[in-house]
Amino acid sequence: MISDPLTVITIVPLAVSLALLILPKISGSAEGLARASRAISMGVSLAMLAITTMIFFGEIGNVDWTDYNSGYSLTNDAFALIPSIGVQWKVGADALSFPMIWLTTLLIPISMLVEWDAKKGHLFHPLILMMEGALIGVFVSLDMFVFYAFWELTLVPMFFLIMVWGGEDRKYASMKFFIYTFTASVIMLVGILVMYFYTPEVASSGTITGHTFDMSVMIASSDYIPSEGLRHLVWLLLLIGFATKMPSVPVHTWLPDAHVQAPTAGSMLLAGVMLKMGAYGFLRIAVSAFPESTVAFIPLLIFLGMASLVYGAWVCMGQTNLKRMVAYSSVSHMGLIFLGIATMQPLGIAGALFMMFAHGIISPLLFAVAGAFKHHYHTLEIGSMRGIAHHSPWLAAHMMLGWMASLGLPLLAGFVAEVTILIAFWMSFGWLVLLPTLTLIITAVYYLTSMQKTIFESNDPHHGILPDTLHGEDPRDISWHENSGMIILGALTILFGILPFIFWDMMSEWSSGFLIDTLVEAMQSEGVKP
Amino acid sequence: MMPELIMLLGLIAIVVVPNLGDAKFRLPLTSVRVPVLLGGSRFELTNDPRMPNRISNLTFSLALLSSLLLISESPSEVGGILAVDSFSRLFSTMFLAALLLVSIATTHRLPAKTNAHIPKESDSESVFDRKISILIDNRRQVDFYILLIMVGLGMTMMTMATNLFMLIVCIELASLSTYVLVAFHKEDGTGGEAGAKYFIVGSVASAIGIYGMSLLYLWSGSLDLEILRQSWLSMDGIDPFAAFGIGMMLVAFGFKVSAAPFHLAAPDAYSGAASQVSGLLATASKAMGFLALFRVLVMITVPDGSEAIWMIALGIFAIVTMTWGNLAALTSENPKRMLAYSSVAHAGYMLAAIAVVGSGISSVDQNAIILTAVSFHLFVLVLFKLGAFLVLALLETEGKGHEIEHLYGLGRRDPLIAGSMFLFVLSLAGVPPLSGFLSKLLMINGIVSTSASTGSSSSVDIVSWAESVDPLFWLAAAIVLNSALSLFYYLRIGLVMFFEEPSTEKSLRAAPSLRMAIFACALLTVLCGIGPVSEWLLDTVSSAIDSLMYE
Repeated sequence: MISDPLTVITIVPLAVSLALLILPKISGSAEGLARASRAISMGVSLAMLAITTMIFFGEIGNVDWTDYNSGYSLTNDAFALIPSIGVQWKVGADALSFPMIWLTTLLIPISMLVEWDAKKGHLFHPLILMMEGALIGVFVSLDMFVFYAFWELTLVPMFFLIMVWGGEDRKYASMKFFIYTFTASVIMLVGILVMYFYTPEVASSGTITGHTFDMSVMIASSDYIPSEGLRHLVWLLLLIGFATKMPSVPVHTWLPDAHVQAPTAGSMLLAGVMLKMGAYGFLRIAVSAFPESTVAFIPLLIFLGMASLVYGAWVCMGQTNLKRMVAYSSVSHMGLIFLGIATMQPLGIAGALFMMFAHGIISPLLFAVAGAFKHHYHTLEIGSMRGIAHHSPWLAAHMMLGWMASLGLPLLAGFVAEVTILIAFWMSFGWLVLLPTLTLIITAVYYLTSMQKTIFESNDPHHGILPDTLHGEDPRDISWHENSGMIILGALTILFGILPFIFWDMMSEWSSGFLIDTLVEAMQSEGVKP
Repeated sequence: MMPELIMLLGLIAIVVVPNLGDAKFRLPLTSVRVPVLLGGSRFELTNDPRMPNRISNLTFSLALLSSLLLISESPSEVGGILAVDSFSRLFSTMFLAALLLVSIATTHRLPAKTNAHIPKESDSESVFDRKISILIDNRRQVDFYILLIMVGLGMTMMTMATNLFMLIVCIELASLSTYVLVAFHKEDGTGGEAGAKYFIVGSVASAIGIYGMSLLYLWSGSLDLEILRQSWLSMDGIDPFAAFGIGMMLVAFGFKVSAAPFHLAAPDAYSGAASQVSGLLATASKAMGFLALFRVLVMITVPDGSEAIWMIALGIFAIVTMTWGNLAALTSENPKRMLAYSSVAHAGYMLAAIAVVGSGISSVDQNAIILTAVSFHLFVLVLFKLGAFLVLALLETEGKGHEIEHLYGLGRRDPLIAGSMFLFVLSLAGVPPLSGFLSKLLMINGIVSTSASTGSSSSVDIVSWAESVDPLFWLAAAIVLNSALSLFYYLRIGLVMFFEEPSTEKSLRAAPSLRMAIFACALLTVLCGIGPVSEWLLDTVSSAIDSLMYE
């Protein structure tokens, strides 16, 4: 039906968004385009969602995602972009990247819907569309150069989203966001270049340099890098790049600032997909290319994961700002992903993958709720407003569902991920599992307290306490477009909580295949029990 | 020799055309009046103050076009001292492209009205604006374009020189004209000072180089490059005459490429000159120095399979140059000086690559790749380095551009120009997928592929591996570290453009041709980094280098 769907879903959003952003600037006759840009962006993003959904149901490409050995699916005929240094346009997806691609195409229209009435909509919605192209580009490209280019490209729309539509401190936040992530990715680039310089000449005929950026060749030829020390160094360089994106303690500090200042749609995409880029790149590149280094650095991974998990949760308890609390809870949940990978169990890695996905639908819901709260009550302070359930029943319902999902209530999507990671952790490290388990209790504490302070606990059963920032206005419930976006996300949270195997099967197949293929040998040579 | 002829014709035209008028000569004793066309009252067309600029634009476009068409011409000799081949045509194409951009970009400046005065700090804003606009609006400046075409003639001729004497003469023709061009900056009191400084230091450097040349002549009895190469290869040990001669020429060329420690006049000259001219110095003039290094150092003194005498010296120079340049750029508050120092740093990167050519451990193929990388880098520098200077030139049209504060809020005043500037600095920093990344990657690749294979692969920890690898590897590491360092000041430009509050909300002057040049540079910066254009350019450069290396 579509011969190369992955190229289409990458290029079309980018091209349309560029056209919508640039054409009205250079020709006055294209002003109609600016007025229609909101509808066009939404239409394009829905079309992309339709394509990825059809891919999943096998209407396009007939892919069996649960088959690890078939490698990448939906690949295209690679063609050279810069043949002299071995850069190709080569795309493909597997069970690691496909859920992320689908998640991206899903979250883009929802975040557009939630901020349907954004100011300067003729720029806002095309920027989100550009974000879509860049994010999908990161997940589909099988060429390291193109991967890196898309990785950097995601910064551009996000930077402008925070810079133009952000809150009061947007300048500081967007600058911090840019400097942190850009520096980290430059460090990562050094690692990628070292890998590049050691690709064998055989695999890269026709280039001037004698090397290639082909991702699979680069990963396979990591053994050519002389000395174990240099391999460890490259692994660490890559880790810095990916961990900053995830973000993990101690390089997480850009995240709360960026989240608090970002517009709702920006926060949703940042938490929903951008953070997952770090985990994706870590698995796809660092772990695949350097299994020995990964095994050797398991203690470091556990430390980083544990620190993010515990510290993130601990800080959450002290937060009075709703968005900041949700942001730190993201840090905390991302820590679980490192723990899942560190277990070196199929179950743990599959749990990490499912965590990436589940957090990708829960955290946008949380940020949508926080954004709507800010929008209607003009404050983010927890406790300045009590009894939302009375004034805004829909908002209260979504808030409750999101927080319950985030703290890991059974039958909701987050529970599946958390419980599998913890089981795998128990199998690998025994009683050490107590620490992450106790942290889940902390999570429950801060969510339940905030819930009590905002949704319920009203001294006056009829009015609750209204924040000063409302200036005596009557509180309203959320508008139709916010509500419908949250309903979709909430429904998906429940759906994937009850029927996790929609994606779980492919994830667990991929994890065991990946483990056997890359990590088992390394674990044996390092003396770690598989 | 087509491009050179076109430039000669242009030179004549630029002198003659603005003087065409309706003057008539009355034959004695008759009433017959013969029109002589020169003098009298000028025709409307030739009287146009933009005429010299148009002629120069036309000349450079035609010359560029003919040079492009001749790029794969079969080699031919001219008079025993010049030789046309694809290598020389490649470089003349680059020089002409840079000159064409400069010529187009100078449409909107060039001061010379008699009532023009340099504005003072104490002037009120309206007086300041009026003085600047008087300075800028008078474009009747034939001299500037005559000098520009002279630069073009000198540069294209030097690409063809096969004789050391011819080489030096052509370089001097181009250099002397640039000294005057630097002093041409009349909107600002600094132009004359910068020109004088540049002239004095430059002529001392040239004098040293010419003395070195005379030593080489004493030693071999000929200045033909091929004969010099033969005598160098057949030399027993190192003859002091030859060694001193080469060393002194290195000083002269080191000044041209602004390598430390001969770079000290460069920042003054760049910041004093009009930005278009600074851009020319930082790209074409620097490339001229590198071409001379190719011709003299690489072609004469690289022995097959052993280390060249200048290798270690050049390697150290390279590291000092790039580090000095970057550190100085970090502390500059004047964007022109910052770009000047960044140009010093780039000279360091290229010198490092050339040092590897002389190392003796690289094969001929690897040398060809490294020289391809350096030439490609020189080529794309024209796009983004010149582009960055042109953005400053646009600021100069309102009397600004020499303080970082003048860039504040440019993103709000003029998003497209600020976006282009950001693109240029990112490319200078070497961020993929821009052309600056591609060229830097090729250079680092040349160094790494030569040296990294020397490291022992059996060593387990990183220290013992680092000890076993050839010292040349650290040149690559130095480039990477310096690039990281340079990110700070490049990104700072981007940050102040988008984050600081502008002192005025007024958008910049329209200056359509200057803008056109900037956008052309920006577009090509992207296209030369990725896609078919970059591939074509790289292929052309690579085959030209092959014709040089394997003749």
